[in-house]
Amino acid sequence: MSFLREFEAADAAVLAGWVNQAGVAVEPALAAGECWLIAADAGGRPQACLRLRERLGLSLPRYSYHVGRAVHAAAELGLFQSQATLLLGNDHTGDSELADLAHAPDCTEPVAALQALIMAALARIAAQRAGYGERLVVELAGLRDAEGHPQFWQGLGRFFYAGDPAAARQRWGEAWTSHLAALLPRQTLYLPFLDQAAQAAVGRVGAAGRHAAAALAGSGFAYGRHVRIDDGGPIWELNLL
Amino acid sequence: MNPLALLLRPVAGADLPALERIAAASAHGIGSLPSDRDKLSARIARSIEAFASQDTASGEETYLFVLEDREAGRVVGCSGIAASAGFRDRFYSYRNEFVVHASAPLGVSQRMHTLHLCHDLTGYTLLTSFYIDPTYEQGLAPQLLSRARLLFIEQFIERFNDRIAAESPGLANEAGQSPFWDAVGRRFFNMDYAQAEALTGGRSKAYIADLMPHSPVYVALLPEDAQWAIGQLHPVGELPFAILQEEGFDADTYIDIFDGGPTVEASLAMLRSVRHARTLPLRAGAVTLGLPAWHVIATSGREDFRAVLAQLPPAAQDLSPGHELAARLGLAEGARLRVTPVDPQAEQGGR
Repeated sequence: MSFLREFEAADAAVLAGWVNQAGVAVEPALAAGECWLIAADAGGRPQACLRLRERLGLSLPRYSYHVGRAVHAAAELGLFQSQATLLLGNDHTGDSELADLAHAPDCTEPVAALQALIMAALARIAAQRAGYGERLVVELAGLRDAEGHPQFWQGLGRFFYAGDPAAARQRWGEAWTSHLAALLPRQTLYLPFLDQAAQAAVGRVGAAGRHAAAALAGSGFAYGRHVRIDDGGPIWELNLL
Repeated sequence: MNPLALLLRPVAGADLPALERIAAASAHGIGSLPSDRDKLSARIARSIEAFASQDTASGEETYLFVLEDREAGRVVGCSGIAASAGFRDRFYSYRNEFVVHASAPLGVSQRMHTLHLCHDLTGYTLLTSFYIDPTYEQGLAPQLLSRARLLFIEQFIERFNDRIAAESPGLANEAGQSPFWDAVGRRFFNMDYAQAEALTGGRSKAYIADLMPHSPVYVALLPEDAQWAIGQLHPVGELPFAILQEEGFDADTYIDIFDGGPTVEASLAMLRSVRHARTLPLRAGAVTLGLPAWHVIATSGREDFRAVLAQLPPAAQDLSPGHELAARLGLAEGARLRVTPVDPQAEQGGR
């Protein structure tokens, strides 16, 4: 059984050790345009958390890859080729966002706790509808290999940025992907140009996002054909209209 | 080989067996010469028609020359011109472009090599079908075979574009597998290189546009052997390519969309053979003094165009009708020859 409540200053120290649904360490801080929700045990100790942001991408550009399809057909050759494509864009600008979906390492029912938080967030949106966007989106961690390297990065990002993406995210926070986007191709990329492992990783949820994905799926969220530009993790969305 | 025995002339119907021999000997690298008898025959007919036509050029014309060794009594090579690349359609190439991707906060600024599908060379006049018998590769025969075409184009420029291009075969192994094709074209055509070549028979079929991606190809994403193949020549293309490079063709901008071989291009007027070309009238009393140097000599006729090699003093302004060259070409006083030195550097040194 968990009790939902607002964030309290004392929670910061507890949350700081958690890893969120995108595989990034939680850094609790209150900011304008967002709020934190906490699921606590009977003793008031935080078991899970989420951060609800009213609108994303309005000050810092938010990038994602749209996973699309291009069909090349040549009737006289009897060829009909359908290929997946990636196109860099800011498609989620103005949408609302769930971030920092995380739980205590010893949380016994993480999916249930996270789902309770998601429901609370949706209730909050419904109560203050005008403050939120058309969609609620959430970025999930991408697949990683045994050494912890995202296959998608190995097949794409590393050719455009030679540094360590994990260190860069640490250093730049959310601004990291805005900086990275400046280095990536602006035009449609044909997925077959990436290696097999990178192709297979597109839109697949990595270990860090598994509990959050289960909770999101149970709350009506689904993959919206967009992925994160660094690790290829899926961006799930829920239509709020 | 005696250079004075070599004669370049338009292909004739009787050359079919010789061309069949050439097509069979040049399985790789001379894609424009079909190994099918009927197609070769049609090719010869089209060339004869092009040389003879009085009509305004449409751009569809293809001209084919053969190189004959008159002492040996046989054809030892061929070369061709296609008046307009991609006639009535588009001619596709990949253009090398370098894009700088930069992020000030990340402290990164890097030059990325990309390939852009383009039609830049559409309408250019194409040098095609170069083949020379291996026993004639050394010496002056290849020079005559390649460069006489430029003197032909120059003299009948109204039939051609003043921008000239030439394709060269790219890297491929014995089995005809091309690393560039395997990394790029195969993904979109879903077939072997040879199969695609046979289907498209050129670089101007509309379905190339239907099948190839229109966004740039980032070279860094290609496998290493495919990256290495970009702009690389198949060994059979080395000799004709070297002659074109000496002419002043640029090989850095375009590559073939199928095998990644270099496609060279240049403005006709900038080419060495054309810059150094001059007209020599056959004039009685002409005195030719000075150290002779090898020249490519072309007649001014179209249907009866001929080109040979001869030694002439570089400073000669005219030629006596008694010169052996006049006899060899069967020309009389009043005729005009277009000549260009084989090696302008040596000419200057010889003065």
